[in-house]
Amino acid sequence: MKRALVVVAVAVVLLACVGAAVAPQLSSRLTGEDYLMEVRPVDPIDPFRGAYVTLDYPGLQTPGGSQPPSMDDGERGEVFIPLVEEDGHWVAADWSRTRPDEGPYLACDDRDWAIRCGIESWFAPQDRAVELEQQLAGDGGVAVVRIDSRGRASVVAVR
Amino acid sequence: MCAAPVGAHTSGMSTHVTPRPSTGAATPRQLDWLRGELAAWTREGLLDPDQAEAVLGRYHARRRLSVGRLLLLLGVAFVGVGLIWLVAANLDQLSPLGRFLLLSAIWLGLLVGGEVLGTRIARGAGGSPVLVLAVRTLAALAYGSVVFQAAQSLQVPAWEPSLVGWWAAGALVHAYAVRSLGPLTVGLVTGLVWFLWAVLEAEPSGMAVVLALLAAAALATGVAALHTRWLTGFSAPWREAGALLALAGLFAAALPFVTPGDLVWNRWLAGGVAAAGVVVAAGAVLSRGRERLEPLGVVGVAGLALLLVAWDTGSGPGPDTGGALTTADWLHAVVSVGVYVLVAIGVAVLGTLRDSWRLTALATGAIVVFTTFQSFAVFARIIEGAWLFLALGLVLLGTGVLFDRVRRGVAAALENAEDPS
Repeated sequence: MKRALVVVAVAVVLLACVGAAVAPQLSSRLTGEDYLMEVRPVDPIDPFRGAYVTLDYPGLQTPGGSQPPSMDDGERGEVFIPLVEEDGHWVAADWSRTRPDEGPYLACDDRDWAIRCGIESWFAPQDRAVELEQQLAGDGGVAVVRIDSRGRASVVAVR
Repeated sequence: MCAAPVGAHTSGMSTHVTPRPSTGAATPRQLDWLRGELAAWTREGLLDPDQAEAVLGRYHARRRLSVGRLLLLLGVAFVGVGLIWLVAANLDQLSPLGRFLLLSAIWLGLLVGGEVLGTRIARGAGGSPVLVLAVRTLAALAYGSVVFQAAQSLQVPAWEPSLVGWWAAGALVHAYAVRSLGPLTVGLVTGLVWFLWAVLEAEPSGMAVVLALLAAAALATGVAALHTRWLTGFSAPWREAGALLALAGLFAAALPFVTPGDLVWNRWLAGGVAAAGVVVAAGAVLSRGRERLEPLGVVGVAGLALLLVAWDTGSGPGPDTGGALTTADWLHAVVSVGVYVLVAIGVAVLGTLRDSWRLTALATGAIVVFTTFQSFAVFARIIEGAWLFLALGLVLLGTGVLFDRVRRGVAAALENAEDPS
């Protein structure tokens, strides 16, 4: 009986760890709303999760247009990107270290080497990833990004 | 010559860290030693033949790595890699949610299966302890595939080190809950990968690698010291991980092109160093006897490593420098080899005292790799061809003789100090 309880406890704690590992994407999927954004592709491989397309968002470029996107303000931490709609697509209106009072906005982070908002990759089977890359490289494409009230985002479709 | 006491699970990988009620496993070498001792005691009249036979009957022969165990562990490795590869294959025959549920079911089946088998053995209903180890290890590997599949299904960006960190956290929770060395090994390896990856992704530099390796070494050795009071079976893997990391950190510190100037602190490195400090202090205070010297020893190694990094020769013989060797370069190489040999001897002595062939093998391998690397870095600049190999061979011979003499001397002195009779 005691060992059964231990197994149940381990399973619950480890499943909670899985939830924590994907918390921003899970929250946005469950509670967010969809926004369309223009994207451009790059096509690499992740050794643990296979083929994916790296998505570059022209509408979210920082003021200097640096690649990868960077605040270049000598600080590191949270970055917030309020969004406005232009010609049917959502683009950045500003880049700030302060959380906006109201949405929609993206909650991002530049503690590591670049600004990351949790929407930089689209995983797909190998043949579909190649096909998607060619398609997006030609005419560009649109990503459907789901964003919750705290700015946590996930890509739910690329077309 | 010091033979390990039979029945002590200080070497080789046991399945569970609590003693088993059936006869104890012993290697043929240990059984030979016991037979010899029992025969001597019988001759001296301390035991009669029946008692000697009864003592011998308490143990059964077991090789450290039988063919069956080897195949089982290889199978675990292949299936574990296969499960993660399955995620990477991104099979579109199943929906992302379907793939996540399938892998979760496999993981939960292995988690429960391992404990069902473990319970049967604990109740004396039979079963193979090695199989329990294999199933628990597989469950820890399968948990990684669950984390990666969840991330893939929800489109978490690629190359995210925190996913490996969550895998490590889960494997460690599993290991401590069921007290099994298999998930602990998975947790140690993945935890180290996560830490180094997170540190280097934030700020890649040679000095960051040195500090990260040394911090991880100190933390692992501190935890090993704490385990000498509680859950003693977990002490060996943490100690061996600490020794490996300390030798790797010292290796990196001795590279001539690593300088303190290229260090930029980041949250992971600062957190790792702070955590190492706390755990080393706890290990030194709370552990018993000689064990408390181990974490302090790693702190000493870290100090030596930082001194080597701080020693600027001006024109290091690194791969990116083209200048001639200076006296300072020679001195740096010679002192580096000397320090490395001393630390490796320390690890080898620890292996002798702990009856851990893995520590001794680690020290030997490390010293060969380090001496070869340093010799090439210095001698290859001034001599080449056959002379280079002759010089390297002479350095290795001299190092080997010194290593063996000092190791034997220190181990004998420590054993005598421990047992004055």
